[in-house]
Parts: sequence; C-alpha cells; structure tokens
Amino acid sequence: MAKLDNLLELIRSGITNPKELAEKLGVSYEEVEGMIKILESMGYVEEIKFGENACNKCPLKSICPGSCIMFKGKIYQLKKKDFALKR
Amino acid sequence: MGCCDVKNDPKISNKKGLKIVALAGNPNVGKTTIFNALTGLRQHVGNWPGVTVEKKEGIMKYKGREFLVVDLPGTYSLTAHSIDELIARNFILDGNADVVVDIADSSCLMRNLFLTMEILEMGVKNVVIALNKIDLAKKKGVKFDIRKMEKVLGVPVIPTNAKSGEGLDELKKAIVAMIDGKITTNPVIPVYEEPIEREIEHISKLLTGTVLIERYNLRWLAIKLLERDEEVIKLVLNHLGHGKMDEILQHISELEQYYKRSLDIVIANQKYEFIDNLIHQFVIHQGEFKETLNDQVDRILTHPVYGFLSLAAVFYALFKFVFTFGTPMQEHLDALFSNLGEAIAPYIANEMVRGLVVDGIIGGVGAVLSFFPLVFLLFIGMAILEDTGYMARAAVVMERVMRKFGLPGKSFIPMVLAFGCNVPAVMATRALDDERDRIITMLINPLVPCSARMVVITFLAGAFFQEHKALIAVGIYMISILLALLSALLIGKFIIKGEESPFVIELPDYLIPSWKTVIIHSWERSKEFLRKAGTVILFGAILIWYLSNYPVPVGSGLSYAEKLGKALEPFSMLMGLDWKAAVSLIFGIIAKENVIATYGILYGVEEGEQALAILMRNAMTPLQAFTLALVTTLYLPCIATIGAIRAEGGNKWALVAVVYNLALASIIGILVYHLGFFLL
Repeated sequence: MAKLDNLLELIRSGITNPKELAEKLGVSYEEVEGMIKILESMGYVEEIKFGENACNKCPLKSICPGSCIMFKGKIYQLKKKDFALKR
Repeated sequence: MGCCDVKNDPKISNKKGLKIVALAGNPNVGKTTIFNALTGLRQHVGNWPGVTVEKKEGIMKYKGREFLVVDLPGTYSLTAHSIDELIARNFILDGNADVVVDIADSSCLMRNLFLTMEILEMGVKNVVIALNKIDLAKKKGVKFDIRKMEKVLGVPVIPTNAKSGEGLDELKKAIVAMIDGKITTNPVIPVYEEPIEREIEHISKLLTGTVLIERYNLRWLAIKLLERDEEVIKLVLNHLGHGKMDEILQHISELEQYYKRSLDIVIANQKYEFIDNLIHQFVIHQGEFKETLNDQVDRILTHPVYGFLSLAAVFYALFKFVFTFGTPMQEHLDALFSNLGEAIAPYIANEMVRGLVVDGIIGGVGAVLSFFPLVFLLFIGMAILEDTGYMARAAVVMERVMRKFGLPGKSFIPMVLAFGCNVPAVMATRALDDERDRIITMLINPLVPCSARMVVITFLAGAFFQEHKALIAVGIYMISILLALLSALLIGKFIIKGEESPFVIELPDYLIPSWKTVIIHSWERSKEFLRKAGTVILFGAILIWYLSNYPVPVGSGLSYAEKLGKALEPFSMLMGLDWKAAVSLIFGIIAKENVIATYGILYGVEEGEQALAILMRNAMTPLQAFTLALVTTLYLPCIATIGAIRAEGGNKWALVAVVYNLALASIIGILVYHLGFFLL
C-alpha cells in the first residue's frame, strides 16, 4: 500500500494539484493534505516561503510599505533528501 | 533531561507540586480553545527554556483540586526535525506529564492518529484522547463508535466540541480519574513487518543491559535508531559504545538495502497503513461520497484547457474592471492637475521657476499621478483574486504551461508578484533553492509588466485604441508573458541546464473576500506608487525638465534632451520611434512611469494627460504607439530591479538581464513595427 511513498512518487512525477493526487491515491483531499503535513514533519517536503526576509534586503525598502507579497496558497517542494535509498 | 538538546523543566513554575496535564496534538485542532476552557483566566505565558517557542501553562480546577495544564507545541509527528517536535517529544519522554491529553481533529483523523501512535509508541500509558471538532465530522457524514474506538486504541476517548464546550466536563473528569489511577489503559502500538520487528527486538535486547531501560521505552529507542534519529543515536552511543552501535548501524544499512528506502519512510508507511486498518473498525461513513461545489468549481478552474481559458477570461475581466471604473476617476484627477497648473502659473513670476513647477513637476509628476486610480483598482482586483483563493488555482494552471517551457512551476508566485513590482518578485526568487530555477525566474521576471508599466500601457492603449483599450492592454500583457515563457525555454536550454525540483500546491478553500482587507491591502500596495511619485519620479521630472530646457528650450534641436534623443534616433527609428521616444525610454530606466512624464515635459503639456494624448495622436500612428508600449514593457528593467538582480544573482546575471532585455525589446520592436507596417 505505502501511501506516503506513493504520494512522494506522484509529486516527483510532476503532479502539483493535490486534488489530482487525491484522485490518483484514491483518498480524500483532506487526507492528502494530512499526508503532506506528516511528510513535512519528517523532512521529506518543505514549505516554500516566498516573502520571508525578502523585504529586509529590498532596495525599495525605504519607499515601499512592504505588502507586496500576494499569494494565499501554500507550496511544498520535495526536499533534496531523497526517499529512495541514498544516504 | 530529555534525549536531545532542548531542555524542559516544567517544575520551575510548578512550585506547588501540582499534577501535570500535557496537551498534545496537531496544529489547528482546537488545542488552544481546550486549554482556555480547562484553565480559564488562570494562565501564564512564557518561553520554553533556551528557545523562543511560546510555553503556555494554566491551572485547571476540578472539585476543589488544582492541576497544572501545559500546552505543548502543535506537531504532526514526534521526529527531531523541528524545535516544536523536540519540545513536545522531550516533555512527554521525560515523564513530566501525569496525563497526556492528545487532542485529535475528528474531521481528519488519519493525520491526527499518526501523532497518537507516536505518543503511544513512547510507552506512555496515561493518555486520554479528546476527539475534537465532532460537529465538523458529523457535517461530513462521519460517525464514530466511541466504545469500539476506546477498545481498539486501548485508551479513553472523549468526543468534544471545544467551541461549544461540549464534552469538556467529561474530559476533565477523565483526566482526574486517570491521575487518581481509576482508569487503566492498554494502549495499542503499531506492529510492523517481520524484518522491522525482528530488528526492533534485536536492538531492544542490546539496549536491555544499559541504564536506558530505566528511563526510556526500549522499543521506541529501537524504532528511532532504525529511523536514524540523530538525537537518539547520540544518546545510545553514550551508553552502548562504538562497537555495539556500529553493529546496530550495520543491521540498519542491511535493512535499508532490503527495502531500498530509508527506514523512516518505511516505518511511517507501515504505521500509516496500521492506522488505516484501525480506523475502519470504529469510523462509520454515512451516505455516499458527494463531490462538493468547491470540488466542482476546482475541476473547471484547474482543468488544462478550461482552466487556461478561465484564467484568460479572469485577466480580461480584471482589465475591463480597471478601465471601466478607473478611467472616469483618472480623467477627474487629470483635470485637477491641469487646473492646478493653470491656477499656480500666474503666481510664479520667475519664468524658470514657473516652467519647472508647471511643466516639470505638475506636468510630469501629475501625468503619472493621474493614473493612481488605475493602479489602485488593479491592486483591488488582484487582492480579490488572492482573497477568494483563485490565485492558487491559477498557479496550478500556469504551472502546466510553464513546465512545457522548462520553467519551474514555482516561479508562478514571483511572476504574480511581478505584476505589482518586479523588485520584490526578484527578491522572492530566493525561496527557490534550486540555482537553475532561481536564475531563470530572476531573468524572466522583468518581462512581466509591473504596475509602473501598466501606467504606460493604459495611457497608450487609452490614447490610441479608445474602443479596444482593454483588449490591447491584455494583448500586450499576454505577449510579454509569452515572451517570458519563451525566454525561459531559451535560457533553460542554452544558458542554464538542470532538473526541476518537484512540488505541490495546496488549494485554500474558496472564500468571499473581506472588503476591509481588500481595501487595506490595496491601499498599502498603492502607497508605493504615491511614494515613488514623490521621490524617483519627481527627481526624474526635474532632471528631464532641465535637460529639455537647457542650454536652450526643446524644439531648437540644441537642448541636451534633443541631442541625446537625436543620437539614439537612428536606432529607435528602426522600431518607428522618434527621438522623443528614445529620450522617454532612457528616463524610463529610472522608473517606468517616467516614460509618460518625459513625453509630458517634452511636449510642454500643462493641461494634463488628455492634452498629451491629443498631441501624441497627432505625432504618432497607433502602430507606433503599440510598438512603444511593447518596447517599454520589454526593454531594460528599471534601476531598482537591476539592483535587485545584482543583489540576488551577482554582476554577471544583472548584466545578462540588461543585455537580454535590451536585445529582446529591440528585436520584437523592429519585428512588430515592420510586420505591422506591412500588414496594415
């Protein structure tokens, strides 16, 4: 069965839409979200934070109110740590 | 002391020697609500020793007795990957808690029980499960056989709805009964495949002879060793020595070879499967699974074809909205600046100062400022798209397209930011840890039209294409984005090669946007435009006014601006653009809005943007205007963006960006002008 493994394989294959991942795995969207959270806590995926610290080094810092980062969804990427045996 | 670097000492605030109740659970399961309900106002907030993670403690009163409740950080598992997990893990592991209340969200039980299993696997017996959000589970058609659940898990389960207070008295009762030893438990623990179990047994036997047996559950230590948990390896090494540890590591390597996987994922998979089998024994799903409206809408908005068509329609609607509501406001503002110039002029006796104030500052800065309503409305439109949750869907659609062009899908976010301003978009690329992804995204970002270039695009579209201005504006945006994608393909193929790192996009629920939030966000973002007008554009306007009036006023062919423009004209004329366009583009490098400001000053316009439009219509054809809009969108990034690329990628990539954009704009400008000339 190895659902977590399968999820990692599907993400690696290029599927980015979690609803598509849920369909392929035969589970609910909420379960896929949960699986991603578990994999995140295990260090297999990580959330990409686009706005983090960007403002500190921005050359427009003095004139910009710093509210330019606009995106509500979260993006998780596979970490370099490979789930197939490498380490 | 725990097995790891994080130290927990709850007794610091437990001088009365109260019995301790620890609240564990995933984030957002209602842990804080339960903590507040159990402790009321008797709370203390501080930090966990040595770290800046919030520690909340409170006193729970029950039938005249007091108990210390400690709210542990929310975690999804108890590995050693984050400080939160280490704090929670060590607190439980050290036996600090007399009772652990594991708060589980009943509406998504799988992920919650994963943590439950990790707690039970530590050998903790005094566990009560608070099955929270039971109302939400009911709504989803999920029912629980609580008795069966208790029997299967071997610990008490109390259904709760923390928000309404349902089940909280029962929870308190169960906690106290467990502390008083009136409840006995028999916690279930995951059973793994035979090779794993055999190794757990082998390691446990090796550990039996050490003092570790007095403090830790040996099975848990063995599992953590198999997972190569660095903290546990350090701990065991201290007690077992290198010889036996090497033997254990050798066994682990053999097992990893057998599974062709790291054992942490193998164990997690088997644990997950174990939970899946347990859940079926006590969870009852009522009714058939129905696709929600949310799912149906997503099916269309993330569809490869319909999703893309929807995206194009959404952006067309966005510009239609900006023009329909923004143009009348822009005209009023334009008239205001025009009247201001006329009103002020008679009061300034000195001709030079009058020229500077009326033509330079009011004419130049005013021409740009009159576009404020359009910029504000663009940000409102984007804030609405963001707040409804649409942007994440757009990211899914664009990701597919971008992937075809060899562009990392993750780049969509910096590209969205670039619609507002390229500078933060370039800064945001640092979130892409892959060097190839980062550089490509950084280089193509200046091709996405920012709000400054929107000013130029909307001005030229409005002045030359009255009837179809929204279509022309969207057309220029689309061409720019297409060129950005093609550039990514080119750069990825010939300049930076490599593989993309895979990712997944979480889709937030659709929400009706809060108007207050939308207005506040849009205003905050628009403020940059106003501040720029008062700084960079003002400086640019004064400089352009000076260069166009000295040593003699423009028109004589001897002003500095004309000389500069005439020097560049042979090249700009290849794109059908005269010396005025060449000068405007040069000053546009300071800030793109200066392209309009420069035109205003060069034409000596005092009556605002409408008068400038009339003068430009007399001097240029629509084809020239379209070419100018496109070239302004594509040519050199503004100084701030070049600075950002230099800061993020170094001199080399800043130079590549400058040369590439200049070359691309020139080629496209020449092609569009000559093809248009030939076809029209």
